[in-house]
Amino acid sequence: MSIENQAQQVIDLVRAAGAMGDLIVDQGESLSLKASEGELEEYKVSSSQILGLRVIKDGKVGTAYSEAVDKNALNSLVDQALTNASFTVTEAHERIQLNDNHLKTDDAVLCPAEDVEIEHKIKFSLDMEGNLVAKPKVKNVPYNSVQDITGQRHVFSSAGLNASSKSRMCVAYAYALIEDGDKNAMEGAGQASRLFADLNVNDLVERAYGNTINILDGSPVASGHYDVIFDEEMQASLFQVFSMMFSGKSAKDGVNPMREKLGHTIADPRLNIIDQPLNSQGFGYSLFDAEGIATHATPLIVDGVLNTLIHNSATASFFDVVTTGHASRSPKSTMGVSLHQVEISAGGATSADLLSGEYLLLTDMTGLHSGANAISGDFSFGASGYLCQDGDRIRPVRGITVAGNFYEMLRKIALIGKDQYWNWEKSALMPHVRFADIAISG
Amino acid sequence: MLNPQSAQSVIDHGISLGANFAELFVEQSQSNIISTLSNQVQSVESGIDFGIGIRLIYGSKVLYGYTNKPEADELKRIMSELAAKDLRAPGISSRSFDYRQIEDLHSAQRTLSIDSEVESKVAFLMAADAAARAEGNMISQTRGTCRQKQQNIELFNSEGLHTSDTRNYIRTGLTSIASDGSEQATGSWSDGGLLGWELQDDISAEKTGSEASRQALVNLGARPCPSGRMPVIIGNGFGGVIFHEACGHLLETTSVAKKASVFHDQMGQMIANPSVNAVDDGLLLKQWGSINIDDEGLDTQRTQLIKDGQLTSFLVDRIGAEQTGFSATGSGRRESYKFAPASRMRNTFIEPGDAELDDMVASIDKGIYASHMGGGSVQPGTGEFNFAVTEGYYIEHGKIKYPVKAATLISTGPAVLKEISMVGKDFSLACGMCGSVSGSVPTSVGQATLKVDDILVGGNA
Repeated sequence: MSIENQAQQVIDLVRAAGAMGDLIVDQGESLSLKASEGELEEYKVSSSQILGLRVIKDGKVGTAYSEAVDKNALNSLVDQALTNASFTVTEAHERIQLNDNHLKTDDAVLCPAEDVEIEHKIKFSLDMEGNLVAKPKVKNVPYNSVQDITGQRHVFSSAGLNASSKSRMCVAYAYALIEDGDKNAMEGAGQASRLFADLNVNDLVERAYGNTINILDGSPVASGHYDVIFDEEMQASLFQVFSMMFSGKSAKDGVNPMREKLGHTIADPRLNIIDQPLNSQGFGYSLFDAEGIATHATPLIVDGVLNTLIHNSATASFFDVVTTGHASRSPKSTMGVSLHQVEISAGGATSADLLSGEYLLLTDMTGLHSGANAISGDFSFGASGYLCQDGDRIRPVRGITVAGNFYEMLRKIALIGKDQYWNWEKSALMPHVRFADIAISG
Repeated sequence: MLNPQSAQSVIDHGISLGANFAELFVEQSQSNIISTLSNQVQSVESGIDFGIGIRLIYGSKVLYGYTNKPEADELKRIMSELAAKDLRAPGISSRSFDYRQIEDLHSAQRTLSIDSEVESKVAFLMAADAAARAEGNMISQTRGTCRQKQQNIELFNSEGLHTSDTRNYIRTGLTSIASDGSEQATGSWSDGGLLGWELQDDISAEKTGSEASRQALVNLGARPCPSGRMPVIIGNGFGGVIFHEACGHLLETTSVAKKASVFHDQMGQMIANPSVNAVDDGLLLKQWGSINIDDEGLDTQRTQLIKDGQLTSFLVDRIGAEQTGFSATGSGRRESYKFAPASRMRNTFIEPGDAELDDMVASIDKGIYASHMGGGSVQPGTGEFNFAVTEGYYIEHGKIKYPVKAATLISTGPAVLKEISMVGKDFSLACGMCGSVSGSVPTSVGQATLKVDDILVGGNA
């Protein structure tokens, strides 16, 4: 049975029960390779499909999911969602959108065809591991992977919505363990692209090796307050950890500290943050959200002022605004909101200004989730990187912690660089930002 | 769940492709999650997971695939695709299945397949919310959850194994948010185990709510934490996450076999202070990390990892046993059919000692008492770990002075094991979810309150 027929069967059952509903169908195929000591250690293939149903009946919302798609499973899916709805309180703001559009992504852009033999992918995996192991002092490459992933999403609704997206992501990463006497270090690097041919094994090996060997001799710096620049990976991670600050859902639930700050200055006036779902260079590209609403660019912080929270139709209704197209839902979850692809606008600082004097460049942080409290903004992470002077790395730094309050840190911006960089997973596009007076323990 | 004749034909197909070992892991799981926001039900979610994991082993190379389609032809197709680059003449024959009925050591009564008992669970969470709010009007919000899962697994392999098991998991808890108008702070409490909703008989909604709020209120009044190297007392129960991160992950053959663990060549050596005895025990009755059999069909066991400071065992799965020569310890675990099994922890803890908390505090001139811990992470290759303090106090001149917030402890496994100088008597276990190469699996952590003489505390005072 085709996806459309399965969806129609489910939607018909929902309608017959006097309810409205929408159905997400996620399908995926993937190949994953890992190498060890010159041999392929793991070869993994998968094909998967999962259906996630949301129903609204008498103002009550229920969800259910199923990985089985036979007739009994589809009947059970609808029954469970309706039963679950019966236990919840009436939700005045959550409705199935009267949206019958048929949005569809462009395969030529997001899922380009490519003829790559499996032998080529295996060779890439073996070369990546082998070339890295061959470098001086590399003991092994315990974490490495080459992946080719294709995912599809369909969203159907009882209002006639039929939206679909399909995208491909080729990924390679490697982490090298280096030992030298009683010192050791493990760091790595990664690449992501839509075409396998765009992955570059030599570049990846050189960067993974450089990131590891350069940090090997690191030691703590004296405790104190330092200017800090996070590299493109760590800065994207830091903003992701505190992304709840933009959540209309958390604001509706009373746990977002920014709820009362709309229209207020919450950051340095040079800071501009925008969500850019339609930048197809990134893997956060989204043509539509989980309610099938077409997405668009959303300025979040404009000249330091909180411009908007992000909304789905329910949170927008609660705050009496229009949805920003940020509905998010996996087949297993209830409706929430999430950012698609964050961009910080380029600032005005030249590299010479940005990197002047003494500062710490942090290239790795640990405990990003356990060490952060998105409600209070407090954080404390393990960190490593480099003590720098006028753009030069003076020495590697390890065994330190960086701590502070993220929401206060947004006001402690010293400089914003002119050039923007993607993180390697291409989920965020940001210039380097220099933060002043950050607490470091060594 | 899978017809044995079909399974036999698929396993035979795998062996005919030249594999040394072929395995099918069939899973059908039911789940139910109730979420509350203050005194209202926010959502009830449920669903069915179903799929089959296919594993072929050629030497030390693992080929793994999975699908939602149970038909034998589809399973054989995936096997053929997996083995396409490794085809060789069969070296062995697969054995006929001999069904093995396992003994259920943790039989559950109020299971999801009988009734999801939504009303009863909601009543518990409402009582917990009321208890949380009774702690003071600065409690602005609560979030409650009750998660129940029934995982049915069936295993077939080319060595003739055919067995099945049912695992019933339940976990419920509450997070309180305290607010004084300008700042917010959180506290939480949860209970769980390998049993059904009869868990309700062993726990108290009042304790769940009041403990979550007590912690939130302490944190609301907490001061920034001093930083630097200092002695730290780590509380019992979830404080055991220090051993989980600092040592447990480094003893999994997943890291040991790759020589990606600092302990890979230290079997029999003193790796900890002589006051440290550590165990990973899959047999503890109805505990969150317990299992009847592991996800490779092997009996679980109690494994003494460290005895009087000496390394006595690794955690070993099938592949790890072949690669390291150590015997399997029934530690092959996976989140679901979507993952190949790997050596993982179960209920991992430091055994109790005889020290008193008062003596530990009195021995410290300047330090931290971390009474409740959050999560953390470790890099096995170097042993570097971090974990978060969710409730902590500053100690000065042998006295507890004031609560502190936003602290992280960082060190390396080998270093911290040698710095544990005092272990208390108040042993307890706590539930956690552990993420690693084979997904997120239920594990318990545990210890009595203990003192670490020197560790880096990251704070922002």
